[in-house]
Amino acid sequence: MQGVAIPITMVAGNSYIHRLNPLPKLFIALGVLILSFATRNPAILGIVFALGLVFVTAAGIWKSYLRVVGILFPISLTLVVMQSIAPAFPKPWTPITSFGPFTIYQEGIYSGVSMLARIFSMTTFALVMIMTTHPSDLFTALQKIGMPYVLNFILTMTLQLIPILQNEFAVVLSAQKSRGMKGSGFGAVLPSMVPVFVGAIERVQQLSISLESRAFGSTGVKTSFRNVTMSLKDYVVLILGVLATLGCTVWVLLDKSLDWSRTLIFPPALAITVVALATIGFVIFFALAISYVLRA
Amino acid sequence: MAEEKIVCQNLSHVYPRGKIVALDNVNLTIRSQEIIGVIGQNGSGKTTLVKHFNGLLKPTSGKVIVEGNDTAKKKVQELAAHVGYVFQNPNHQLFAKTVELELEFGPTNLGLSKEEVIERREKAIEFFGLQDLRLSHPYRISFPLRKLVSMAAVYTMRPAVFILDEPTTGQDNITTRTVYRLIEQLREEGSTVICVAHDMILLAEVVDRMIVMRNSHIIADASPREVFADTDLMHSTHITPPQITSIGLRWPGLGKQVLLSVEEAVAALDQSSAAQSNPHQLS
Repeated sequence: MQGVAIPITMVAGNSYIHRLNPLPKLFIALGVLILSFATRNPAILGIVFALGLVFVTAAGIWKSYLRVVGILFPISLTLVVMQSIAPAFPKPWTPITSFGPFTIYQEGIYSGVSMLARIFSMTTFALVMIMTTHPSDLFTALQKIGMPYVLNFILTMTLQLIPILQNEFAVVLSAQKSRGMKGSGFGAVLPSMVPVFVGAIERVQQLSISLESRAFGSTGVKTSFRNVTMSLKDYVVLILGVLATLGCTVWVLLDKSLDWSRTLIFPPALAITVVALATIGFVIFFALAISYVLRA
Repeated sequence: MAEEKIVCQNLSHVYPRGKIVALDNVNLTIRSQEIIGVIGQNGSGKTTLVKHFNGLLKPTSGKVIVEGNDTAKKKVQELAAHVGYVFQNPNHQLFAKTVELELEFGPTNLGLSKEEVIERREKAIEFFGLQDLRLSHPYRISFPLRKLVSMAAVYTMRPAVFILDEPTTGQDNITTRTVYRLIEQLREEGSTVICVAHDMILLAEVVDRMIVMRNSHIIADASPREVFADTDLMHSTHITPPQITSIGLRWPGLGKQVLLSVEEAVAALDQSSAAQSNPHQLS
């Protein structure tokens, strides 16, 4: 009945990470993002990912984290498969083996595996940040460092509308089922999406009138209900986090020996196993997803 | 005796989030050609109860049998042919480009032939008086008429039981009268109508059986006359009977009659004034 809820929301808790100011968390997540894109070395990305899992443990959000990974991992597996047969890499490529028209390349496996590690290193840190921070705190903190109020408001509003639209979608879906809608596939999209979108547009119109009538856009200094302060330890974490991520980024960019793309050779058996497992993984996932949609 | 349409046996429902008990061991039988009003405060379990009738919710324990089908084993889409549910907000149900297409959606889903779909569509247009709106966009017509379209869209599926969620909310006087007339007509055609409503006037005038809910239980199941006369019951559920009923109960001159409509009140007042003036004339 509740529809498929997006599991990326704050997980209530009182861990050290929960109590940290949103800004250090945000900057560390950004730093990790930059670092992840600066290198293709699977070992470094793996270490970052493992470090991320340490934070997941510290924050006590394993359950929610795994729910996201359960969806993200099978989808990311497609990357491994696609990269193996068509690497995003300068030629020449080293072929390992061929299945009919498809050839698996050494560089492709390397590229696929490093992309997978990259996705997981950065999403893990991003999820730790999102799942331990109240959105309002994050936006209040951002406003303090000079983000424009209107932009801030738009973002907050959008986040708040997501659960509302999810509920709306669940109601519309049950209304259409009550009319005997064959609840699957493309045919189900129109009857359920039209009411949701029309409803959303009407809601936004009403919202804007309601905002105007409550002096949105008035000039002068605004006060904020939520108060976010930076303590000494927040500053320490912020500085250490930024130095660590930026330092590593500089290091991986300068040290050419970390480019393992030509030196890390996957034995053919391992390469084929990786590609086969990845294919099986995402095929099973899509089969499950489709059967879930058909059942709904 | 009329045929049993919906039977709830020891029906309980616990929402998984927060383990909220919304229905606790409810037993209920709904028969053909009944017009039933379900009332109770917000959160008393009304909507949860009626959502079990077409399988939108499944019992967490107990059973719901709809025309011989156990709802736990049927999809909502399969039960749609037996029980029609008109949602409170018509915007949630309507999506098609024209009223005609909207009315064709339900019967097409039931797998009926083209001729039959058109026949049902025409019947619904006539029944609900939608002749002028055939080709209008459902979102472009006024709210009260849109609500009629959403009822018509369910009517085309010919369910044995109609669930109307707040059928008169946001309606003007004309469409409210239309809704009253339709409910009566549906009964004449052999259907059962279940209204979930806060509109006590609607309930007093059209309903013949009231189900009163409080804290996940049915606390009363009787005629509107009996329910509205029970002031303690009314008070405990925070429901106010129609004003005309309250006047009848409180005005000594009317001898505590339970009045359900203005017509009844006028008749009662005529009678009492006649009774008062006649002895005067004789003396």
